[in-house]
Amino acid sequence: MNLALGVLEEMILLILLMKEETYGVEIAKEYKSRFDQTISLPAIHVVLKRLEKKGLVHSKMGEPTAERGGRAKRLYHASNKGFAAAKELQEKRSDMWKSVPNMKMTFSA
Amino acid sequence: MPDKQLNPPKWAESILDFCCRTDYHDEIIGDLREAFYWRIEEEGTFKAKSKFLWESLLSLKPQNLKTSYHLSINTMILRNYIKVTSRNLIRRKTSSLINVLGLSLGITAFMLIFLYTFGIFTFDDYHTEKDHIFMAYKERITPDGIQPTYDTWVPMANRLKSDYPEVKSATSLYLANAKAIKNEVYIDEEIFYSSQDFFDIFSFEIIQGRSSEVLPEMSSMAISEAYAVKYFGDTEPLGQFLDVFLQEEDTILTFQISAVIGAFPENVSIQPNMVIRLDGLPFYPDYVENWGTSFLETYLTLDEQASVDQLIAQFPDLVEQIWDGKTRGNTDFRLLPYTTYFDTFIGSKEDARTLLIIGIGILFIASINFMNLSIANAAHRLKEIGVRKVMGAFNGQVRVQFILEAIIITTISVIFAFGLVTLIIPFFNDFFDVSISWQILAPWQILAFGLGLVTIIGLMSGCYPAVYLSSLKSLDVLQKRVSIGGKSGLRNTLVVLQFTIALFLITTTLLIRNQISFMVDSDMGFSGDNTLVISASPRSFTNVDLGVVKVKTFQEELRSQSYVKNSAMSRAYPTQWTRSFTFVRPEGWTGDPLRMRYTYMDANFLEMYQIPLISGDYFLPDSEGHQRESVILNRAAMEAFDFEPFDENQIQLGDRKIRVVGITENFNYETLAEDVQPTLMFHRTADHPVHRYISLDIETSNLTEKIGEMEAKWNELGAVDEFSFDFLDDRVAQLYEAEDRYMGLVAVFSVISILVACLGLHGLSLFVIERRQKELSIRKVLGAETAKILTIILRDFTKWVVIAFVISVPIVVFFVQGWLETFYYRAPISWTTFGMTMGLVLGLVLFTVGYQSLKVAFSSPTRYLKDE
Repeated sequence: MNLALGVLEEMILLILLMKEETYGVEIAKEYKSRFDQTISLPAIHVVLKRLEKKGLVHSKMGEPTAERGGRAKRLYHASNKGFAAAKELQEKRSDMWKSVPNMKMTFSA
Repeated sequence: MPDKQLNPPKWAESILDFCCRTDYHDEIIGDLREAFYWRIEEEGTFKAKSKFLWESLLSLKPQNLKTSYHLSINTMILRNYIKVTSRNLIRRKTSSLINVLGLSLGITAFMLIFLYTFGIFTFDDYHTEKDHIFMAYKERITPDGIQPTYDTWVPMANRLKSDYPEVKSATSLYLANAKAIKNEVYIDEEIFYSSQDFFDIFSFEIIQGRSSEVLPEMSSMAISEAYAVKYFGDTEPLGQFLDVFLQEEDTILTFQISAVIGAFPENVSIQPNMVIRLDGLPFYPDYVENWGTSFLETYLTLDEQASVDQLIAQFPDLVEQIWDGKTRGNTDFRLLPYTTYFDTFIGSKEDARTLLIIGIGILFIASINFMNLSIANAAHRLKEIGVRKVMGAFNGQVRVQFILEAIIITTISVIFAFGLVTLIIPFFNDFFDVSISWQILAPWQILAFGLGLVTIIGLMSGCYPAVYLSSLKSLDVLQKRVSIGGKSGLRNTLVVLQFTIALFLITTTLLIRNQISFMVDSDMGFSGDNTLVISASPRSFTNVDLGVVKVKTFQEELRSQSYVKNSAMSRAYPTQWTRSFTFVRPEGWTGDPLRMRYTYMDANFLEMYQIPLISGDYFLPDSEGHQRESVILNRAAMEAFDFEPFDENQIQLGDRKIRVVGITENFNYETLAEDVQPTLMFHRTADHPVHRYISLDIETSNLTEKIGEMEAKWNELGAVDEFSFDFLDDRVAQLYEAEDRYMGLVAVFSVISILVACLGLHGLSLFVIERRQKELSIRKVLGAETAKILTIILRDFTKWVVIAFVISVPIVVFFVQGWLETFYYRAPISWTTFGMTMGLVLGLVLFTVGYQSLKVAFSSPTRYLKDE
């Protein structure tokens, strides 16, 4: 099965791994605070559905609240497979970083 | 907890609710809602709202939709259509721009007209009983014909209600001028004298107080919501007291607010802001059984089953009971259905209908542009159609493609037009002195209106290209064996139609203008240059006797000013003529008396207005005292009495005989739309309380200063009315305000129509020239002159305009003649106007097309000949 992850997929998967259990709006808030960039909810929903299809996250229905107009949340949490996929990606990335020569790095103040 | 005011738009949520898969429901809608409140805090209401709407739209992805929608929409092919459409729009920028611009303009014009006329067509629909409401009025049967008059008697309402069981409710209504007193300041108001039945007949909502007993006490008053705020601010209006100076009763009365009337729409003829009880007024006992003086309106509702004709048939008996057998012969009661109230008193639904037809005409012109341009453009898309067909597209699918394109362009234009209309409305209202707004339509009606426009225009303008292009044979198309536009018959017909409409509108505008300026400029039979009329009535003072003295002083002071050349006192003046009637006989006449207008004036009046005499003299000077036994007639009255000028004529008012001392020429005291009616002019000295106005003939230099002086003098007198004056010239122009407005509307829309038509022509000429470039280039190579080439191109277009002109002339003549029939004095239909329009339109067309043609005529032929 193709487990290739897009950048947005990976970020959302990471946010899911950071939090025990979360849902759309919280992901949007977290994303905004981390990247100082907004992301639309329908985009998050699409990504979550895709991740779920790949088996990297699982979901269940939560409690309805008043500010949601009495509608329930769909709570997502990352599966073991999700954890493994994210980790593998991170390791591969570290590997590649190792072969980037240090001297090429120049920082501007 | 979120604020109640700040909720996401309900309708967007219902759409999501309806379309989304049920298992995704809670997640999508819930998240969007939660994010909405979060964003209000972070980014403000506006951003939160717009993001909510945007994300709702984004959430309508195919995978989120209920499965039933999946099957019905072939998203792949739809996406392809949309993509091809947008590519086409972008590639052919000029024609897309012309399309969208022309359509938006046309739709904008139509929307404005629609909003304006919708208010008129739904006039008074606010009243749920509208179909059963009637206004009772009387008809005088005179030798000259039947004259309806709408003033009725105080006891009429009660009599009708008690005598006829089918009359459910009946009320008298009298509109009086009054001055409400707020903090010692007198404020001009219109006050309604009526009864409880008023609220049973009309659907005004009582939002405070009891609707079953709106005016419980004699001194109760019902007040509109707006007036409650005006007089009592934020405080609770119920139970408050309001002092009102009733000018006609000459008393100040105190009223207690017993009810508040809810807001009512603008397009309601009766706008009650202050309602008090008729039977609570001091004069009421004198009039309760008085069938002599008629001055108020009577309204009633009938049972749903009641037959109006049967009721009217019983009225002659009622007339005989009230008066006698003789009155039965010359007076009749009638019922005016409330549905015809607008046409009788306010305006003309017919004019509104004409405007709506104009609007549809403009819409038509814009759609034709679109149709012509898409057929023209199709030449560039033959390959696409051919390939689609070869790949197995059915005719139907090619058709859908073109119709969809039309619908997309229309949608863009409609959205654009909505914005444009919203921007224009304030200026439109200001300019034409009307009040249109979107509020007249409910949100769903606006939505339906928009969708309706998209569907109708989209289908109308998309159908022909779709059918025509899909019917081409694919092999022919790919081998370039068809020449698009070869069969240009239909296209030419459409262009001719466009110009017929545009020419019709422009000529009509100019002819209406002719009539208005004819009326404004014609000699009205009196001289009103430099005449200033000041309202100065003894009733402007709280005591009439005192008022007479004050007005006299005022007039004498004005007269002593060096800049006042002459002055006169009168009850009425031209443009504000009398509405009082009396019954009169020529001496020795035994038949029925004639009903005739009468008015009062001092001895100076006719002379000051330079109204010429046919025979006899003006009144003797005021210094000779009252001349109660003298009357001056106008020519119309002389003819009605069958008098000869220079004879010793006498008229009889009841038993009183009055000598005719002079006969004037007819002068037009009101609009030239009406004939001059017979008028009796009686003399009263300047210091008599019947007078209402001072007319001054003045030097017009330094006017503002002089008016300031006069105002200061008036204010010294301590009147409750403010200083108010009019220039006679202005008044004459104001007489034609309704016609002016009508002309303005027609003018604006005819300009739009010609603009849109030229826009279309511009696009079409581009296409025609492009198609004939090769031909023209060859002609040039063979030695044709520039002028010759121009003629070739312009010939066709000129021909179309000339044909359109020939068709439009009889339509214009027919329409304008019908319109002119409502005027007594008519300007002749001028043929130069037709010539002017023709020249104007032809000039515009030649300019539009000529510009393009010149480019071709001057360009080097090699550019177009080398590309093969």
